[in-house]
Amino acid sequence: MNALILALAYLRFNWIRSLVLVAVAALILAVPIVSQVLLSGSRAALTDRAEATPLVLGSRGSQLDLVMNALYFSADRAEPVTMAVADAVWDTGLGIPIPMNTAFETNDARIIGTSIDYFDFRNLKLAEGRGLAVLGEAVLGADVAARLSLGAGDTVVSSPQNLFDLDGVYPLELNIVGVLAPTGTPDDEAVFTDIKTSWVISGIGHGHDSVLDAQADEGDIVAAASTLQFNRITPDNIDSFHFHGDPATYPVSAILFVPNDARASTILRGRYLDPENPVQVIVPRDVIGDLVDRIFRIKTLLDAVSLIIGTAALAAIALAIFLSYRLRAREMQTAFKLGARRGTITRLLAAETIILLSSALFISFLLILAVQTRGDKIVAWLLAT
Amino acid sequence: MSQGRLTRRTMIRLTLTGASLPLSGHAFAQDEGPVIAVANYPLAYFAERLVGDLAEVLFPVPPGTDPSFWRPSIADISAMQAAQVIALNGAGFSDWTTKVSLPRARIIDTSAGFADAYIATETITHSHGEAGTHSHTGTASYTWLDFGLAARQADALAARLIRAMPQSEATISTNLLALNADLAALDAAAKALRAPLAATASHPRYQYFGRAYGLEISAMEWDAQEEVSEDQWQALEQKISESGATLFIWEATPSDDARARIATLGLTDVVFPPLAQAPASGDFISEMTKSITMIAQSLDA
Repeated sequence: MNALILALAYLRFNWIRSLVLVAVAALILAVPIVSQVLLSGSRAALTDRAEATPLVLGSRGSQLDLVMNALYFSADRAEPVTMAVADAVWDTGLGIPIPMNTAFETNDARIIGTSIDYFDFRNLKLAEGRGLAVLGEAVLGADVAARLSLGAGDTVVSSPQNLFDLDGVYPLELNIVGVLAPTGTPDDEAVFTDIKTSWVISGIGHGHDSVLDAQADEGDIVAAASTLQFNRITPDNIDSFHFHGDPATYPVSAILFVPNDARASTILRGRYLDPENPVQVIVPRDVIGDLVDRIFRIKTLLDAVSLIIGTAALAAIALAIFLSYRLRAREMQTAFKLGARRGTITRLLAAETIILLSSALFISFLLILAVQTRGDKIVAWLLAT
Repeated sequence: MSQGRLTRRTMIRLTLTGASLPLSGHAFAQDEGPVIAVANYPLAYFAERLVGDLAEVLFPVPPGTDPSFWRPSIADISAMQAAQVIALNGAGFSDWTTKVSLPRARIIDTSAGFADAYIATETITHSHGEAGTHSHTGTASYTWLDFGLAARQADALAARLIRAMPQSEATISTNLLALNADLAALDAAAKALRAPLAATASHPRYQYFGRAYGLEISAMEWDAQEEVSEDQWQALEQKISESGATLFIWEATPSDDARARIATLGLTDVVFPPLAQAPASGDFISEMTKSITMIAQSLDA
């Protein structure tokens, strides 16, 4: 007991050295396990979501970009296709296409313009408010709502695509009508709107003051550059909102496709095999399977590197402790001359070492626990960035 | 009428379901029996004929409200979102659908199969800023007044209902045959009208009827149940002199004074409700038959 009190007094007196030793040891102990937790979480998150998504249609190009954007809402996007593609696969009667427009952001969260079939498909539940009903509404993922401290009745404003594009996309104020229950998936990090609302953000649809002058003859058009466009959709102005051009040409980042059965899936995939076709059909499970295999090949290398670095760091800590004992040789000699037995001095040094290692173990345990508890969110964030 | 009771009961149940969704946290779940939501009365009638008692038909537009101008409330939208099939007329009939969120997987646009047969209406062009001018082209939307097209809408609806209720395929198919026979009889009766003929209508609703049955129908922009102003009468006289119309078609029953004034202009008039909304009595087939008979009688008179 006396040895413990003396050891604590010594460590407290040399608190900077003690702190550094504890921190370094804690990190050495925690990092391999934390990386293991995150990698396992990433693998589970990637594969679970990929396996839950039968097919993705999109522009021919990087399959990984297309899947990462459509499933995990990553910033890398393939070239958009058009609603004509969604209409064409709908007309096949082979399943349900769910178009997604992921072109916009708000407050560092991706705006997902989609049809409300998406909520059925992902089995998303509301924690607060109601689902999407009219143009201009948004439902927040659980993490976005918590991070921004927003809920039903609040608003968010879409971000301009380009800071210098002052004449480009108008920011649209979205009315938040609901918050989704947490799922531990990228859906928690997203802001959902109807895909038509995303087309309003992109300027394809808009609302404005009347272009018919009440004083003018019937049918006279008086619209000009000064005609006010609305940047928020309200019950008072929603009737003025309209879309231009052929709806078949409206942009879609990707289309999730839920086939009726395995046969329908095979038939659809067969129709998009032609490499000249600008549209491709991807099986996310295959693309993500390849990605996970690569990650785990890299993980083997990372494990070896971690082992080498950890061994070196532990050796450095042992050396530091050994050198500190050497530096304290005179202090020990004094204790010995004052009547302390060699066993007492050994117990004192052992107590210091045990306290340091116990503290490091405790802190590393806390670190691992923290990562494990928030693993889903960290993985979702990592996948989205 | 049983359909009216059914529709109201369904509406109340679904509205309550919609109102309770946020509390239960199942806003996106389908948890009720088969419900077919429709955008206008013809589709409500077709759906009723096709499914009988197998499903409930939700026609959320209140009586007395023109479905063309109806705007759904949030509760209406929630109720429609909960339906297993949402039958739309297409051809721009329910322009509110471009402003609400409905599940694509459950929507059937019953006129999409003959989109190339749509009739375009007048175009409005305007511009914003530097982007140049752009246009809004309208589409005539009362497609069911061409009973051949109405039959195709019934076919499309039946196909979608069979997809949603495969166990009821035999019943729906049998009912479709009977419905199409009734629509074919209407089509034959309309084709027997003494056409070609120039007519004027109180409202531009009859484009498909005119094209299908050889009537050249110009239209006023009148509300049949409001008093017609002197300017409107003058505009009508001008239109008659230009078109040579001998028949005037009222969308709804007008005042006796208005009918008398029409007679002084040398026109025969008939009331021909296009039935976007449910009739006070009778049904789609009986009321359409009555309207066609009245037109035939007025032409023979």
